Formats: sequence, C-alpha cells, structure tokens
Amino acid sequence: MPTFAHPALLWGLLIAGLPVLIHLINMFRHQRVRWAAMEFLLASQRRNRTWVLLKQLLLLLLRVGAVAAVVLMLAQPYLPSRWGGVLDRRTIHHIVLLDDSYSMTDRWAETTAFDEAKATVERIAEDAARQARRQSFSLLRFSQAGGADGGARPDVLNEPIGGGFPEQLAGLLRKLAASETAVGPRAALEAVENVFVRDPSEQRVVYLLTDFRARQWRDPAELVPALERISRSGTALHLVACVDRVRANVSLAGLAPTEGTLAANVPFFMEVKVANHSDAALNDVLVMIEADGNPRPALRIPAIPPGETVAERFPLRFPTAGEHLVAARLESDAVALDNLRYAVVDLPADLPVLLIDGSLDSGDAVYLAAALQPGGPVATGITARIERPRYLSQNPLGEFRAIYLLNLERLDDSAIEALEQYASEGGGVAMFLGPACTPAFYNERLYRGGRGLFPLPLAGQEALPVDRLEKAPDIEASDHPILRVFSGDRNSFLSLVAIDRYFSVPENLPAEAHPSVAVIARLRNGAALALERRFGKGKVVVFLTTAGPAWNNWARGNPSYVVAMLELQAYLAGAAEAFASHLVGDALTVPLDPERFHPQVRWIPPEASLSQAATSEAARLADGRFAATFSAPGSGIYRAELSGKDGSRQARRLAVNVDPREGDLDIVEPVRLAEALAGVDFRYQPAATLQYAGEEVSGASLAEPLLLFLLVLLLAEQIVAYWVGDHPRDAIGKGGAG
Amino acid sequence: MPDSRRFLHPEAIKRIARLDLRARQIVEGFLAGMHRSPSFGQSVEFLQHRQYTAGDDPRYVDWKVWAKQDRLYVKRFEEDTNLRCTLLVDVSASMRYGSAAMDKYEYGCTVAASLAYLVLRQQDAVGCVAFDEQARTVVPQRTRRSHLESILQALDVSAPANKTDLYPVLHKVAETYPRRGMMVLVSDLLADRPPLFRGLRLLRRRGHDVMVFHILDDDELDFPFEGPTRFESLESSSALSCNPRALRRGYLAAIGDYLEEVRRGCVRHGIDYALLRTSRPLDAALAAFLSSRLGMHHRN
Repeated sequence: MPTFAHPALLWGLLIAGLPVLIHLINMFRHQRVRWAAMEFLLASQRRNRTWVLLKQLLLLLLRVGAVAAVVLMLAQPYLPSRWGGVLDRRTIHHIVLLDDSYSMTDRWAETTAFDEAKATVERIAEDAARQARRQSFSLLRFSQAGGADGGARPDVLNEPIGGGFPEQLAGLLRKLAASETAVGPRAALEAVENVFVRDPSEQRVVYLLTDFRARQWRDPAELVPALERISRSGTALHLVACVDRVRANVSLAGLAPTEGTLAANVPFFMEVKVANHSDAALNDVLVMIEADGNPRPALRIPAIPPGETVAERFPLRFPTAGEHLVAARLESDAVALDNLRYAVVDLPADLPVLLIDGSLDSGDAVYLAAALQPGGPVATGITARIERPRYLSQNPLGEFRAIYLLNLERLDDSAIEALEQYASEGGGVAMFLGPACTPAFYNERLYRGGRGLFPLPLAGQEALPVDRLEKAPDIEASDHPILRVFSGDRNSFLSLVAIDRYFSVPENLPAEAHPSVAVIARLRNGAALALERRFGKGKVVVFLTTAGPAWNNWARGNPSYVVAMLELQAYLAGAAEAFASHLVGDALTVPLDPERFHPQVRWIPPEASLSQAATSEAARLADGRFAATFSAPGSGIYRAELSGKDGSRQARRLAVNVDPREGDLDIVEPVRLAEALAGVDFRYQPAATLQYAGEEVSGASLAEPLLLFLLVLLLAEQIVAYWVGDHPRDAIGKGGAG
Repeated sequence: MPDSRRFLHPEAIKRIARLDLRARQIVEGFLAGMHRSPSFGQSVEFLQHRQYTAGDDPRYVDWKVWAKQDRLYVKRFEEDTNLRCTLLVDVSASMRYGSAAMDKYEYGCTVAASLAYLVLRQQDAVGCVAFDEQARTVVPQRTRRSHLESILQALDVSAPANKTDLYPVLHKVAETYPRRGMMVLVSDLLADRPPLFRGLRLLRRRGHDVMVFHILDDDELDFPFEGPTRFESLESSSALSCNPRALRRGYLAAIGDYLEEVRRGCVRHGIDYALLRTSRPLDAALAAFLSSRLGMHHRN
C-alpha cells in the first residue's frame, strides 16, 4: 500500500465527486428551447444514444480521475516495498554509525556489545549484497567522526556493494576494536550530513549501532536536532541497540594526590575514587595499588552504595625525586577498561620557599622556617630561605614554591611588581603582619583599592581582650584546606593558641568589589584573622597577626603551628591542583623551553596501545606557552622525549585514563527514548532482530507518475470532450440562396 | 403602418423592384413581350401602338392605322392578361422559431409580401394561401394594387399552432387554381418529405411554375447550442433533454441529408429551390435568387 506524506489531504478525494455532482446539478439546470427541427434532433439522439452515454460516462470518469489524481499528487504518495522498488532505480546508501566508545566493551557470555554491533554490520552488508537494486555502504565509527570542525575519517565511504563486498567488510571489521574513548554519537550524526554528501540519486538508510547509555540518551537534547534533520531528509533512521540489559560495573573514577606537600622522601596521600554503577550496594571492594610497578597493600573499601562514588586515601612515599607511577586496579567486571587507572606523580627533590622578614633579627622568619624545615629525621621536603625585602626586586622568584612576607614595613615598587607577577603566574604568597606594619603602606601600595595583592584594606591594630573564663578558643577555623585538619576533635592544640594583637579589616566592603576574598579563620570576637584571595593564577593568604610570638603564642611550642604552616605551604604550592589528569582523546601538552630544547618531541605510547611512536612539533599555544601536543588515542602512560640542544635527552611521562563516566552502563529504556525523540521518525530495534532495511526506502514517490497520469487524463479529457461535444464545423448552406 | 404591413420592408422592396418576376416557363395569361401566354386577353384597355413584328397575332393589328398610314401596327393594352402568381406561405407553429431579428414566420411572410408587391407592381395577378396542416386563409388572385392589403392581412395569422401538412394543402391549391401560373412555396418544409414531393409533383403536372423558398433559422442549420438543454417541440408534445454538443454531429448529418433530399426532390421536379437563412438580409437573398432566375430565363 502506498503511504502518503500528507495523509490528511486524502480527505480531498471527496472533491473527486464534484464532477458527478456538477453533472447532476446540470441535469436540473438545463435551458429550455422551443425547437422546430425536432425530427433531426431525435434522429441524432436515436442514432447516438448508446455512444453518447458511453462517451459521457467516460468523460465523467476522466474528470473524476483527474481531480482524484490532483488530490493524490498533493498528498505525495509513496509506494514502498518491492513494487515501488521496481519503479525506483536509485541507489540505496547504507550508512552505519558504529559506537566504539569503551562502554561497547560491555561483556556478557562470550560476546561484547561491540562484537554484536560488528556482526550486525556484517549482516546488513550481506543482506544488501543479495538485493537486485544498487546498494552502497559507508561505515563511520564514533571515535573517527571528528569534532565540530569536521575531520571525520570513515572506514568505508560510499563503497558500492558487490558480490565480494561482505567478505571485504568482514576482513575490515575483524581488525576493528572498540576505542577507549567516551565519545558520544553527536559528531557521527552530524557527519551524516557533512561527510556523506547527499547524492540526489540515492536513498539513505542510517543505522546507529550503539548501546544507548543513559548518560547520552536519557536527555538527548543535543542529539535531537541532528536526528531530526536526518529523519526529515527522507532518510530511514534505525536506532539499533547492541546491549540488551544493564550490567553491574565498578569504575575507578579517580586517582590523584590529595592536598599536601609533594616532594621526594615526604609522605603524602593519594586518593582513589571508586564508582558503583549498579543497583546494588557493593561490599569489600578491593583496590590493588602499584607504585612504580611494585604492589602495595590493597585497599579494601567496606561498602559502596548503589550509584555512589567512594573516595579512599592511602599513604605513599617515594624516596627519590622525579616522576613516579602509581596504578590502581579493580577486579574484573563487565567493562575492563575502567578497572585500571594510572597516575604520574612528579616529586621534586626539595621545595624551596622564600621567607622575607622585615625585622632586623628575622625573628618571625626563624619561627616559620623552623616549622617548615624542622630538620632532623622529619622530612618535609621544604628548603626555607630567609632574605631581606630587597631580594625580591633583585632575583628571579620563579624557583620558589611559595613566598612568605613577614612583618614587612614597606617594599619598593619593583619588589611589589615582582611579587604581583609571581602571584599572577600561579605562585603562592603568604603574609604575616606585625608591629612594623603600617596600614598606610599596605593600603596604598599592596591593597590599591583591590587591585593589589592584599585582600582588604587594613584599619588598625587591635588588642584581643583576654578571655579569662576560657569559654572559647581564640581561633575559630573554617572548613578551609589550611585549617581543615583541625576540624572536629583534632583541634585541641589550636584551642590553646592565644592571640594578643591583630590588625582589623573592615568587612562591610561591598562583596562584588572583592569577589575572590574569603575569611578562612576568625578570632573569638568575630574579627577576621586569616584572609585569602585569588590573584591571577596564584593565591594570597594573609594572617592578620604575627608569624612569631610577638602578638600571639602560636609559634611558641604549639604543635598546631607546625601543622598549620605545612598545610599553608602545601596549599600555596598547589601540588594537588597542579596534578595533571588526562583522559583519552585529550591533547597531551608538554611545555618546553625553546632555548634549551629542540621543538620536535617524540611521543612514545603505552606498550598496549595500537598506535606507534609519533613526533610532534612544539609551537606557541594560545596561552603563550611553547609546548608540544599530542592526542592520546588510548589509556596508559605516555612518554614524551625532549631533545636538548646540548645533546641531552629528557623524558616526561603522562598518565592517560579512560573517562570514568563511560563506565556507567545504565541504558535508556526504549519507551523513554521514544518520548525523548518524539519529533524524530526512527525505528528502534535490538541488534539481534535487525533485518535488511533497504526495502523501507525501496519504493518510489508516485507524485511524478501521477503528474504524468494527470496530464494523460487531462489530454484524454480534452479529446473525449472534443469527441463528445464536437467542434463547430462550417455551417451548412451558409451560402444562403442557391 | 398597419400591423399587417409589417411584412413590407421598404429596403427589400426597393432592392427587388427593378427586377421583374418572370415566369421561366410558359404560363397562361400572356402579355405581349412579357409573357408568352397561349390565352387570349380579356378586358383589355388600349395603352399604345407598337410596330408589328413577325409573330404578332394578326388579330391585334390595328387595321385602321394600316388603312391610313399603310403601316402595320399592333395595339398594346394597359393590363395584359397576366402572370398568375400564388404565394403559399407556411404559418405553422414550426415557423415561429427564430434566433435572428425575425423568426421564420416573419421572414417567410416578408418574402411573400415582397413578392406580392413585385408581382402587383408589374400588373400581374397574385393570390395567397396561408396554411399549416390545412389552408388557413385563401386570397384569390387579383391584379389590383390594393390587393396587396388583402394578402398582408391573410398572412397575419395570430396564433399558429398546428403542424405543417403539405400534401392536402398543395392538393387543394391545385384544385383551387386550375389555370397554370406560378406557385411560390414559402416554408421551412419541416414536414414529411413524401407528401411534400407528391404535392409539388402534382403542381408541376398541372403546369404550374413552382418556386420553393426554404426558410430556416441559423440555429437549425448550425445547431450551436451548448450546455444541458431541453428541446421542446413547437408542433408536438415531444421533448428531449440532452447535451446538444453530443448530438450535434448526428443532428447536422441528419439535417444535411434532409436538405439534400429536398434539393434533389426539387431539382427532379423542375422546381426552383432557394434556401434562405433568416439571418441573411432579405433583399440580398431575394435579389440573388431573382437575379439567378432571370439569368436562367434569359438562357432559355
């Protein structure tokens, strides 16, 4: 049966009865003529009665047919099935969009979703090869679809399907494996229009073979426009589900060092995150840890609620400086790729910090240096260097992981400029005030109406009255990384700190003028004690009291001082934030000094990777850095080899992991999918039941044949009307008297 | 103008007045030089003398003139023994059809009136029979100019409603006018042909010179009707609803056959036949016909 593009117009077929109606009306609306020569009229009528009747019937039928043909033509009939295919000589172009994101490695029985998809692709090609009509085939994997800027690389592009094509395709498919990317279908769908340029002489069938993960398909708003364009273009769209049900999966969602000082021989914590993508709680989840290839005690996570992600910390210490590999591994489950996660921790031999003390005896600096670099068996990795203020303007500051300004009376402009540049490029600056400080200098030179380093203007020195009743500690810590360690029951030492004097700051300034300023600790009387602000890429932390014991007793034998200062240093250094985590598909970047290194950087992929070593040329990036980039096709440890101009070689390693979100194997239900894609004409079916779909587009639009038929009808109508009505012939005896 | 004079069209009369209506064959009522009549004249009135020519009847030689002048003259008379013309005008209901300015009845009557005027003008006798299925009015042949009025009144039939039936009419005419003369039939001839031809043959056998003016309307000849039409007979109760375009070809064939049959019938019996369309100007039609007839006469 033909289908119609505008079936509602078929009501217009009622108009086809109009000629009959007009005929009937005319029968009652005839003119009356009083006639003399009835004899000849009756003779003509007797002679032609049957023919006239037949001709009029034929004329009526032709007119009814013509009106019906017009209505049918407007309704745009389409004759599917093989009968329509007989009329239709266009090529059927099968476009297969194959999801090869790593969720397609979902394994069950002896197969995976990707294997099922490949078998389906083979079946499509085999079925198409058996058809009499011309067929062509294109195959595009999601990971090869490129981005918005194009760059799609189809595996098969508009290849005619001949007798040997299925075998050829099977050979190609055998070589294909699911990628480690988490790429969605959007780019592939957009490539249908951009890459496979529409040939007017072809009809398209698009097969989207994917696992319909909920992450991409539960709210497919960004996919709907592309899907609508495809379905509106007359393309048959098949959404083929390669996964039959949701399987439980556990993913490693993260592996990174936590806050703290990262340096050689300094203990630090790493945090591993495990996500439970299932409907049931998991108990006693084991996470195997390797450090530099050596197994470490496994972590046992007691319980992970369904759908939750649990973070667990474990301690590590590497005695040597340099890059160290840490790997975490889960036990095998439905998807293997997200059970392994890598991290490269780059540990410096030591962390030089600069302490600038304004006082002649550097009293405060000594206390702080003792806290940061206690010496003896305790290794903090920090090397504290105490200098006078003029050091700032005379030496490069880039090597220092943090700069501390202690009880400074003043700085010259060049020092202030150097400090601000240091902070804006990502350096951490901490300031402790003291008796030498004057609000005038700090407000005019360092605060500068909010444009300088100092977070808020100083009001003046204040004394904190002694709390005789000791009802509350002098310092009230907020939940900030620097003081978080004192939260809860562990703040007993901090409560012993007594603050005598401090600088007060006005806190009623408009917040919008100081959006990045935060109070991280307050005094008992509610006044701010410690402030923080962002300056460029760096951080500035200000304690409104002294680092030494002049205005408080914190530095004098209170263990919390050492802890707080080490946390402050870790926070300022920002090692955890600087920890680079790369996902598959990301561009790996290695900055290099063009004066020391050749721009060519050799990238050596992980052993298991399919790709070979490659070389990329370093170039100036948009952010001004000179760096070499490389797109990582798979997970693992990549090594970037830099060639020094002095002949030396330097290698840097980067950890690339799969996107943990792809490990969520939740799938969208067909009903939900149908609701979400309400405006899209598609057919959803499991891969196992997919049949050759060429017949859906086999068929022909009957509009053109109908137009021809209409023209024939109209011509016939004219002829029959001429025949029935006759044309006036020359009048008889017009010569008159003769 | 009295109503009966509506059939006299001055333009038509003027156009045909210069033409003499001549009998193509020998008729009774001879007027010297004009009509070679075998009959002797009656009630003659002297008009003028004319020099004798061979062939003149010696009875009309004026012997008194011969005695005085020794020349032979024959006497001419004011009113010759004349052509006896009878106008047979169909006034049946079928003549009432008309799509032009005049219907067939009016056109036919005008033809008849014009001929009557012409005949009277040349001092011949003219009579008239208005008929449908029978003779409705009969006007005897007279030569008086005032006789025209009688003819016009006879033609003015108020309610013609009957069928044409020609044979009884022609038979009666043949009986009524036993002396040979000219019979002019003005009709649409929408009647059975065998009785028509029988009647015409009868007239010819009686020695009449017969002329047929066949009056038909353009519609009847061309059948230009379109759209659903109900044709109702003027002479009977028959009716036909049809698409006239569908029947046109058959109709034109039928009427073509009919005209051919009529023409052939007339020719066969030596009858002058003229088909006149009511749309055609009457004077032109008559002038053409009479000119052609004059030519035929001269050839004779």
